[in-house]
Amino acid sequence: MDFDLTKEQEMIRKEVRKFARNEIAPKAGDLDENEEFSEDLTRKMGEIGLFGMFVSEAYEGQAMDYISYIIAVEEIARIDGSQAATIAAGNSLGIGPIYYFGTEDQKQKYLPKLCAGEGLWGFGLTEPTAGSDAGGSKTTAVLDGNEWVINGSKIFITNAACDMTMGVTVQAVTGTRDNGKPEYSCILVEAGTPGFKAVPMHKKMMWRASNTAELYFDDVRVPKENILGKKGDGFHQMLATLDGGRLSIGAMGLGGAQGAYDLALAYAKEREQFGQPISKFQAIAFKLADCAMEIECARNLLYKACWLKSHHRPFEKEAAMGKLYCSEVMNRVVNHAVQIHGGYGLMKEYNVERFFRDQKLLEIGEGTSEVQRLVISRYIGC
Amino acid sequence: MKICVCVKHVPDTAATIKIDGETGFKDSEIKFVVNPYDEYGVEEAVKLKEKNGGEVVIVTVGKPEAAATIRSALAMGADRAILVTTDSQFLDASLTAKALKAAMEKDGLPDLIFTGKGSVDTESFQTQYRLAHSLGIPVVNEVSTLSVDGKKAVAELEVGGGDKQVIEMGLPCVIGATKGLNEPRYPKFPDIMKAKKKKIDEMTLADLGLDASAQGVTLEKLEPVPERTGAKMIEGSVEEQVTELIRILKQDEKVL
Ligand SMILES: Cc1cc2nc3c(=O)[nH]c(=O)nc-3n(C[C@H](O)[C@H](O)[C@H](O)COP(=O)(O)OP(=O)(O)OC[C@H]3O[C@@H](n4cnc5c(N)ncnc54)[C@H](O)[C@@H]3O)c2cc1C
Repeated sequence: MDFDLTKEQEMIRKEVRKFARNEIAPKAGDLDENEEFSEDLTRKMGEIGLFGMFVSEAYEGQAMDYISYIIAVEEIARIDGSQAATIAAGNSLGIGPIYYFGTEDQKQKYLPKLCAGEGLWGFGLTEPTAGSDAGGSKTTAVLDGNEWVINGSKIFITNAACDMTMGVTVQAVTGTRDNGKPEYSCILVEAGTPGFKAVPMHKKMMWRASNTAELYFDDVRVPKENILGKKGDGFHQMLATLDGGRLSIGAMGLGGAQGAYDLALAYAKEREQFGQPISKFQAIAFKLADCAMEIECARNLLYKACWLKSHHRPFEKEAAMGKLYCSEVMNRVVNHAVQIHGGYGLMKEYNVERFFRDQKLLEIGEGTSEVQRLVISRYIGC
Repeated sequence: MKICVCVKHVPDTAATIKIDGETGFKDSEIKFVVNPYDEYGVEEAVKLKEKNGGEVVIVTVGKPEAAATIRSALAMGADRAILVTTDSQFLDASLTAKALKAAMEKDGLPDLIFTGKGSVDTESFQTQYRLAHSLGIPVVNEVSTLSVDGKKAVAELEVGGGDKQVIEMGLPCVIGATKGLNEPRYPKFPDIMKAKKKKIDEMTLADLGLDASAQGVTLEKLEPVPERTGAKMIEGSVEEQVTELIRILKQDEKVL
């Protein structure tokens, strides 16, 4: 057994941490407050290589291993959930499906710009009436001559309605299977296609500096070649995308937990009551000890899931466990962290309040905690 | 043009240092970084190389673990490095300067040398001067603007009150870099991968004919900075406040 990270993985951590501290930390509070997506920060993140981390050099990706990607998301989330969301969704949901399932032409056309962080791509699965039940999608795509005609709508789609958005991958019903169930395919729709409208969603509680969109498709026509992979592969592609995506959501939980813990530990050592730092009170010290332990467990579980993926072993069960555990650990850690800050923990000047809000999505997005338990229970034979 | 950049491996200023024994500290528990002022030197050297061609060599005197810090400088675009290994984090400035000089002489003297304006750990602000003196070349510290062409360098440094001093000197020379000189870049991930393959030549002080015990200054003891005690508020009229302040300074604190 070897728990050491490689030299490059250590360096990725160090450099991303420095970037996040210097470039993101000073802006995170204001962007959150103003509910503002920052194109400037997104481009800067692209410049250092935070997009296309697992994509080969042939498509101008960074050709790094999966753990390096997860470490990078973790270090960004340690400072700000919104920017981590832009990175995690950009890589796992935007770039991932095109890289893994796209044709050579599609990859050449879109990946270099996406990997440079000059453009973003959304992944449209969720619909107003189909959330956890992703098999209930109602959006349709019908082949008419050499074109797909798409009708329907999507909701909560990350990175899909900002000026940098180049397009979205949309999951649509393209027929009926032999067993009578709907057949799904994924189709690429470029921004600006007539009939396709992307509307930013506002008034979010969390990830306020991340771009979230509602998508409307009204007789949207795209060329037949815009299908991702083969007709009917959509459901399988979606499941595979979510398996990888779970690891990056797990990384956001892990990084967010670490960030809130860092703030709480520093505050507890500084804040004095009854003539001593509050970290000396056992009630506070034990909370911090629990946080440290749970973060350690979360990191080991998540990295193991990544290790399995990197070694081409089955990792789906561990990915679900990692996502579930890391997001719930962050829930407990942010709760303790705000408690340790007392009244100040409820004020916006103290960043821990933002971590507290940003946490909740992690138990909902890319499969709710209930759905993760469902996935795990199936793997263990229930 | 060959440029050497002296880079020191220092504890992150945000780290909590735990003293271990008389003159040591628990370095396995803390993060080390490129001395922040040296980063301006690395950036400036790499920019000059990108413009005019040539080679950038990182020269470090430090513990073997400094190799990790050197990799960060290599990821920023330096070509290769020399690491003179020592047993201690604290080497006095005269010995450090001798080691830097010997390493550079062995490798072939450069056309330009960068250091930081000082290191954030020991803050003795001497190495650059000692190095320049021993090489018999000019040195300017706290440089915030630099232009180099052909055989000369023009450096600007702030002298307070918004005034600037502009100094022209021949090459080779030593430039102590500081904030404002440039914005050090964040390495791109592929450059981090490439940095792993770049060469770091390791040698000991003895390999350079230097004696580790021949230090001008040795560290006797490390002590934590005493914790500040709470401030005392003096109440009353101005007269009462002044009287009380004088009493405290005389009787309690015994400074008058
Ligand atoms: C900020 C944000 C960004 C997002 N980004 C994207 C994106 O980029 N792309 C995308 O496609 N989607 C995205 N989503 C959507 C997200 O994945 C869904 O919100 C999520 O899958 C849950 O769906 P739902 O909201 O419809 O909840 P529902 O499915 O309606 O769930 C409601 C509750 O019922 C529970 N429940 C449902 N079914 C079961 C069951 N079988 N057993 C037990 N309990 C069950 C759920 O666990 C939950 O507690 C995003 C959401 C948000 C908020």
